[in-house]
Amino acid sequence: MNSIMYDTYTIFWRELKRYKKSRSGVLIRLIQPAIWIIVVGNIFSETQPLIQSVGFEGEYIEFMAPGVIILTAIFTSIFGGVNTLWDRRYGFMNKALTSPISRSAIALGKMSAISLIAALQASLIIGIALAIGVTFPNPLMIIPIMGIVILFSLGFSGISVTLAATAKSQETFWGMINLLGMPLFMLSPALFPLELLPNWLAVIAKLNPVTYTVLLVRELMTGVSEGGIPILISIGVIFAFVIAMVAITSYVFTREVNKPF
Amino acid sequence: MYAIETKSLTKSFGDLVAVNDVSFSVEKGEIFGFLGPNGAGKSTTMMIFTTLLKPTSGKALIAGFDVMKDAKHVRENIGFVQQETTVDEYLTGRENLLLQAKLNHIPKNEINQRINEVLELIELSDKQHQAVVTYSGGMRKRLDIAGGLLHHPKVLFLDEPTVGLDIQTRRKIWQYIKKIHIEFDMTIFLTTHYMEEADNLCDRIGIIDGGKIQVIDSPQNMKNALGNEIISLVVNNNNNHDSFLAELKKIKFIKKINEEDLKLILFTSNGTEVIPKIFQISSDLEIKITTISLTQPTLDDVFISYTGHEIRDDKSKFNRKIEHAKMKRLRA
Repeated sequence: MNSIMYDTYTIFWRELKRYKKSRSGVLIRLIQPAIWIIVVGNIFSETQPLIQSVGFEGEYIEFMAPGVIILTAIFTSIFGGVNTLWDRRYGFMNKALTSPISRSAIALGKMSAISLIAALQASLIIGIALAIGVTFPNPLMIIPIMGIVILFSLGFSGISVTLAATAKSQETFWGMINLLGMPLFMLSPALFPLELLPNWLAVIAKLNPVTYTVLLVRELMTGVSEGGIPILISIGVIFAFVIAMVAITSYVFTREVNKPF
Repeated sequence: MYAIETKSLTKSFGDLVAVNDVSFSVEKGEIFGFLGPNGAGKSTTMMIFTTLLKPTSGKALIAGFDVMKDAKHVRENIGFVQQETTVDEYLTGRENLLLQAKLNHIPKNEINQRINEVLELIELSDKQHQAVVTYSGGMRKRLDIAGGLLHHPKVLFLDEPTVGLDIQTRRKIWQYIKKIHIEFDMTIFLTTHYMEEADNLCDRIGIIDGGKIQVIDSPQNMKNALGNEIISLVVNNNNNHDSFLAELKKIKFIKKINEEDLKLILFTSNGTEVIPKIFQISSDLEIKITTISLTQPTLDDVFISYTGHEIRDDKSKFNRKIEHAKMKRLRA
């Protein structure tokens, strides 16, 4: 167990080193969520009566800010696994595989690094949100919110690492990512309240871990509980999602990298 | 106990046999080279040794551990330097080695000293804090090799260590490999398709072609076995060819004759005495010799004598099916 922690940390350290050296990427990855919060947040500002109908008193932009924080987490973490493909192509993976470290540790190290990077990106989006006038009733809530973002991204990065380990080409990987990323975001209350979704869509949304994360972050940020889902259920769902993803990713990753690339 | 031992090692991909019933062993402390053209099965064998591929059948023991049953112990005892340089460009030289040290579980309190030791050996101490992006191809390769030795493995695997490097750099890398071999007393297993490299570095060579080992011996013995001289000659037509060959075979110094169309390669000793005899025979049979030369055998000649073709332009041996299977694996 000790050794798996050490090995995970080794890979985590390597991924973060690489992230630190590619600074331009940090800004580029911020553009999309920034556009969402600034442009979409303002375009839809007239929909305030809609969100008021479900008991939310603030501006639309305050309603959707938690959604954009999670959007940042979703996309940073779901893209994050792509370097698994490069590692396999350019030999780092073979180097790791012929050393005594465990295969699961490679996957877990990548996941934890991606989740931390996603949290960093999300915190920058929180900064942008604050700058354009979104307010926090209780600024201390940022701490649990970051905790949730880290956990959620850990689970989500599992999707990415699993897909990257399974896909043998960039094309397959990006195809799968596009197939998953946007629908998971749209089928959640990130932009509109759960109550306003038609029934059948609400059922699908309730199967989506993104839904619970958005509701939880929104409740912590604005103090408004929505959708009738208790905090503890949301926390439970997120934990279950993360545990399931860690298990699935370790298993699939170990199985896939043992096959020749 | 041998450093490497294989018994009837076989690896097939579908109905393609990449490594075919290979059995041999490498002594501790030896530099052993696998020599063969692209697609001969060198890399596949090395991937089995480094636990990246599972053999279809047969057995391979590395430092006494079975690659199938005891992969973890094998990994603890090997260093593997791949054909492509795999150092991280964005990290500095030292950071790359630090990563390698951690991957190989070197105790924390020894890491710094080990890194300093190998940096000195490969003469990169002064560049250790620069990002690898700024390194030349040769420097990257040296760093890669250094990474393979940090944990003092019992067996060091080098896959085509000098492919793509210029002549001077290649020689430099050879010096480092020799230095490593002496200082760490490691068994080194390398693959190459450069004759000169095998000749220069290896205590023993295995010539592999079409997935099979054709011969294993020291480079010197291989050359001696061919006699110490080679006569190549070209005749102008095929008249009386068979009787010409029959007469040549009667010359007792000639050990072996290879034919390529109108060109004959005679592996012989006492070449200076043999040449007048050849002229005698050819004039008796009214055969015209257009060119003739007398040379010392090189490993190239050894290779030809065992495989019947040259190592470089191996177009006839290019296996479309194997290449196709490889492409399919890449794309899937």
